[in-house]
Amino acid sequence: MKLAKRVVVLSLVAVLAMGLVFAGGDKEKGKVRIVTTSWRTEDVERMNRINALYMEKHPNVIIDFQPTADEEYDANTTASLETGIGADIIYLRSYDEGLPYYEAGHLVDLTDIIPNLDKFPSAAVGAWSKDGVTYGLPSAGVTHGVYYNKAIFKKHGLTPPKTWAEFIKLNETLLAKGEVPIAQGALDDWTLYEVAFSGLGANFYGGEAARQALLAGKAKLTDPNFVKAFEAVYSLKKYLPRGYEALDYSAMLQMFASGQAAMFIGGSWEISTFEDMGADPANVGWFAPPVEKAGDRLQYCFHVDIGVGVNKNSKHLDEAIEYLKWVAGAEYAQALMNELPGFFSYTPADVKINDPLAAAMFEVIADSDPTVRTVWEKLSAQAPSGNELMGIALPGMMVDKYTPKEAAEFVQSQLETWYPPFRK
Amino acid sequence: MGSNVLHTRRKWRKILFRLGFLLPALLIYTFILLIPIVDSMRLSFYTGSGLIPNTFIGFGNYIKIFTQEVFRERVWGAFTNNIKFFLIVTLLQNILGFFLAMAVTRPIKGAKFMRKISFLPTTLSVLVVGFLFRQILNPIWGILGNFPWLGNEHTALPTLAVAVSWQFIGESILLYTVGIDGIPIELLEAARIDGANWFQEMRHIILPAIMPIVGIVTLLIYVGDFTQFDIVYAMTTTSGNPRFKTDLFGSLFYRTAFSTPARGGWGMGMGAAVSTIMFVVVAFGVGIWFFVFQRKRDA
Repeated sequence: MKLAKRVVVLSLVAVLAMGLVFAGGDKEKGKVRIVTTSWRTEDVERMNRINALYMEKHPNVIIDFQPTADEEYDANTTASLETGIGADIIYLRSYDEGLPYYEAGHLVDLTDIIPNLDKFPSAAVGAWSKDGVTYGLPSAGVTHGVYYNKAIFKKHGLTPPKTWAEFIKLNETLLAKGEVPIAQGALDDWTLYEVAFSGLGANFYGGEAARQALLAGKAKLTDPNFVKAFEAVYSLKKYLPRGYEALDYSAMLQMFASGQAAMFIGGSWEISTFEDMGADPANVGWFAPPVEKAGDRLQYCFHVDIGVGVNKNSKHLDEAIEYLKWVAGAEYAQALMNELPGFFSYTPADVKINDPLAAAMFEVIADSDPTVRTVWEKLSAQAPSGNELMGIALPGMMVDKYTPKEAAEFVQSQLETWYPPFRK
Repeated sequence: MGSNVLHTRRKWRKILFRLGFLLPALLIYTFILLIPIVDSMRLSFYTGSGLIPNTFIGFGNYIKIFTQEVFRERVWGAFTNNIKFFLIVTLLQNILGFFLAMAVTRPIKGAKFMRKISFLPTTLSVLVVGFLFRQILNPIWGILGNFPWLGNEHTALPTLAVAVSWQFIGESILLYTVGIDGIPIELLEAARIDGANWFQEMRHIILPAIMPIVGIVTLLIYVGDFTQFDIVYAMTTTSGNPRFKTDLFGSLFYRTAFSTPARGGWGMGMGAAVSTIMFVVVAFGVGIWFFVFQRKRDA
């Protein structure tokens, strides 16, 4: 008993002493702390390594990367900015998700601040601009395609497909051999829309041209080309794992990373996720979304993902802007692509992509028509938003609550309640 | 006349004296509960972007909620889900809680230990409980993964209700054991001598004695369930997967008020309207409870 008491007292003293050591903060005296936010909590270590490069050259500045969980990011950012305690550097999602922060007057006008802004891809700049004012530095984009397990493909003598017919045949072979073809679930509402529909469906509905027609109100989701995309996603139902209705995103990732499924319809941001989950990078392959017919040009979803803005009310505005200029430059771009392969920097600089998967994803851009996620721009500015509706329709379709045509009709009819070009 | 003045003065002093004790609590309650609730009701009459909507639109948000299909469906869905959720949790916690309490109050070996340990899950964080259940139910590696419990529209909500009941059954057991322990042992012994069997004992002595506890347990469950958010967040995300079948008022409010439209948000004004509806529902239920149980006691 005496001993136990002693142990308790000693541990209490130790905890207190540790508290004193960590609370000291002498190291930070006279330094400026720049807090940056993001919705990617999985990137902390990698981002800290990138920011260390900046801190080496700016010994008086501490870059503090403080991400919030994806689901809470918007709520947190809005609340912190409106109450005046926002971070100095704000990560912005594209189009109408990032715009409200600018419209509420929280962001610095970066138009004349970012060096070489005119050399950045204009489509990317457009995702964080309004009326000629750029409020977010186009930092990185992501692409969508299909990951595959090289060992499983090799075992059954399979090669990556080019066309949809080949893709379906491949799935049939895998199924016949007793493999689970695709690690895809229908529980999380976003994966089927953001990745499967926008990624694989674009080849069916006609990519960017069709998306522009939709935005202009000249096309509808119920048009045959869009319905074909819904049907294509639906045709994969057969190849999903048992219990796919209850398979969530993290379980999908685990399943592919641990070799329990042959393929994963995913985004380029998952390269490092699989690596961190212990998948052997040499065993992970990737192929672009299969085209509908041989000879078709690839409609490639290269989505504008991360923009970076500066909080107008930052206490260290000058230092924050200085840091942002570095983020816009070549050193950051290279470091980002090394640390987070699959995030493709928009910085107009000669950067090398060292990761073979990322290089494969990047290579196909040249022979494709790039586009972004189907109903992300404009169509998701108001409730009920295109993103939300797709997140209801597609999982519903996969469990036979809607036919592909009904799913398309549902989204279209709800968008017609508010989207101006559809109401004319 | 003089004594009358003295009387009133004394009465006033008494009131002030009592008020002095109430004042601190009243102030705290007013500033951190009452004013925010009233202010959130005020916000429900406004529209606009950001944290503080500033365009007055009268009942516009409510009209939208009750007339536009996609909004009405969500609010009505959350309401009915909440009712179902409440009924399942109430049944499980009251009935199971009662029988388990009966069991742990019997003079059986190990009953005292069981009594203590039954409260253990209640001390866990809801997020931990949600995570545990998700692992157990995971279709790939979970031991109960042979059926898509959380993916099926009919089983998802009951599954959540079971998880919550499992966690909080300790509370019901605790309250019921207190009630059962409070029954004078002489009463039970007398009944036994008179030849009452177990069923009669329960029907005529134990049940009437613990009726007020049924009321308290049910009220606690009611308030807890209609403001429930954590379990949905932990198990089926704030979208109430699958397809809003596990969407409760708590998750609906969180999503509509704090998310951007692209992620299912409706704007802060609409969110405030949702929370006001939530408040009315909870207040209505609590009102009924007071009416039924408190009046009975006074009578």
